Amino acid sequence: MVLILGSLELGMIYGLLALGIFITFRILNIPDLTCEGSFTLGLSLSAALTRVGHPFLGMIAGIIGGMAAGGVTGFLQTRCKIHPILAGILVMSGLYPINLLILGGSPNLAIMNSGTIFKYAGAFLGNEGAKIAVSLIFTGITTIALAMFFKTHTGLAIRATGDNEDMVRASSINADGMKAAALSIGNGVIALCGAVIAQYQNYADINSGAGTLVLGLASVIIGEVIIFRRDLTLSLIAAVVGSIVYRFIIALAMKLPFFDASYLKLVSAVIVAVALSIPAIKARARLARIKKEGGRYA
Amino acid sequence: MLDIQNVTKVFGKDTVNEHTALDDLSLHLDKGEFVTIVGSNGAGKSTLFNAICGTFFSDSGHISLDGADITYMPEHKRSKMIGRVFQDPMKGTSPNLTIEENIALAYARSKHGPLGFALNKRDLKIFRDALADFDMGLEDRMKTKVGLLSGGQRQVVTLLMCTVVPPKLLLLDEHTAALDPATSEKIMKITNDMIRKNNLTTLMITHNINSALKTGTRTIMMDSGSIILDISGEERDKMSLNELLDLYTRRSKKVFDNDRMLLGTE
Ligand SMILES: Nc1ncnc2c1ncn2[C@@H]1O[C@H](COP(=O)(O)OP(=O)(O)O)[C@@H](O)[C@H]1O
Ligand SMILES: [Mg+2]
Repeated sequence: MVLILGSLELGMIYGLLALGIFITFRILNIPDLTCEGSFTLGLSLSAALTRVGHPFLGMIAGIIGGMAAGGVTGFLQTRCKIHPILAGILVMSGLYPINLLILGGSPNLAIMNSGTIFKYAGAFLGNEGAKIAVSLIFTGITTIALAMFFKTHTGLAIRATGDNEDMVRASSINADGMKAAALSIGNGVIALCGAVIAQYQNYADINSGAGTLVLGLASVIIGEVIIFRRDLTLSLIAAVVGSIVYRFIIALAMKLPFFDASYLKLVSAVIVAVALSIPAIKARARLARIKKEGGRYA
Repeated sequence: MLDIQNVTKVFGKDTVNEHTALDDLSLHLDKGEFVTIVGSNGAGKSTLFNAICGTFFSDSGHISLDGADITYMPEHKRSKMIGRVFQDPMKGTSPNLTIEENIALAYARSKHGPLGFALNKRDLKIFRDALADFDMGLEDRMKTKVGLLSGGQRQVVTLLMCTVVPPKLLLLDEHTAALDPATSEKIMKITNDMIRKNNLTTLMITHNINSALKTGTRTIMMDSGSIILDISGEERDKMSLNELLDLYTRRSKKVFDNDRMLLGTE
């Protein structure tokens, strides 16, 4: 039971990460490494502000911080013409000392004794109830807000920018602006994920962001396998569902005697690598078939 | 309406590949004029469109549209006033967006602002009616992703996107060249109807010399970045295909050569 609830909660919260990665990777087609820094930025801001008695402000500051980080990456990519992956790495790297500063100069910060949103909600709903409810509310509201946003004109324009940038450039849409906006929104959501996690686990660590890109990608991909994406709203829901399923898979794997927590990154990496190579494998298979049949008639 | 004055564009300046794609070119279009452009491969026709759209800034010269100097206006600002259809049907639409989303992208911002919902019932009816006019059955497939459509269908969607809010200037760059002859003819007819209905000021590059003389109100011929022939009115009405090709050979001192050129009768 604890295992099921825990996986569900973590799955929902990390669903936010999956939503952010979905925006940058699936909509914009950019593997954006900013997320590793913006996740920790949200986490650090949330922990630091919770410690001084402002857990709500911590969430908001997390979102704003993440959006700013994504905005900087967007600026570097579009205005300074820096390679998208490098732009992300630069911001991620640059955020490290800032995050350390926010954490008060030490690599981790415990907030066991501070009032988190989970604790406030726990007063009404009980501990477990609060965890489920708070996770559900944050992820639910974010999913709905994003689904609505991507139906607005700007939302459509962002999707078109990832889809056919040439067309967007030739239309009256500012493609660079749309890219920066999408990176900003994606990283805002990812930082919110970090902010919620900090208060969920009562603890922030400077290295929490490492591997978040692959983790988010794995969730997005699992979601796509489960819910075949037909429209954007479904795709967003799929990302969250993928994240929840991913947590269950991990919880089960952890039961195996030889499985160590450090293997998780390998598992995620394998999932992502395999899933992303499927189109290439299919193409090879098709070629091989053509060759074989060609040989038969030669 | 459109005024191009002494525009020059040199690619690869000071390199071995230096190439003057537009050579001190001037052109004036009045409102409502429908000009067809012909010329051999590499004459600079598409480059002229790029200069008008702001894909790059020209090295010298001035361009103004509807009285405003747009020489240094960024591309995305100009494109509010200019509709452009390319030869490649893939270029003008977003494949993962549905037909209605693509059209809404072109339409809705002018109506509902950047954070307004892009699709509403009233707009969808406008799109559906406009598509129904084309008689290609697209009005019943509004929720289909554009990536699943044929080239001709995609060009129709692109044309509608360019004209759903009538632009000050419409640029068509061999927009039927990638289509089969029957579809090409159909799209050309749709194009004509659309231009006439909205009285659009239009520049159309075409590989079909015959249709260049028959459609529109004026024909210009380009070679090596310059306009070598500009005919309209009676002179144009009387001009035969052979006379036009003769003129080309005399003025450019070469034989007309365009690998997509069609001399065929329609
Ligand atoms: N971006 C560019 N960089 C370098 N050369 C270019 C570029 N665009 C066009 N050109 C050259 O300019 C000439 C005119 O091209 P274009 O306008 O596309 O011809 P067309 O009349 O066939 O449309 C060609 O020789 C082409 O190679
Ligand atoms: Mg061309």
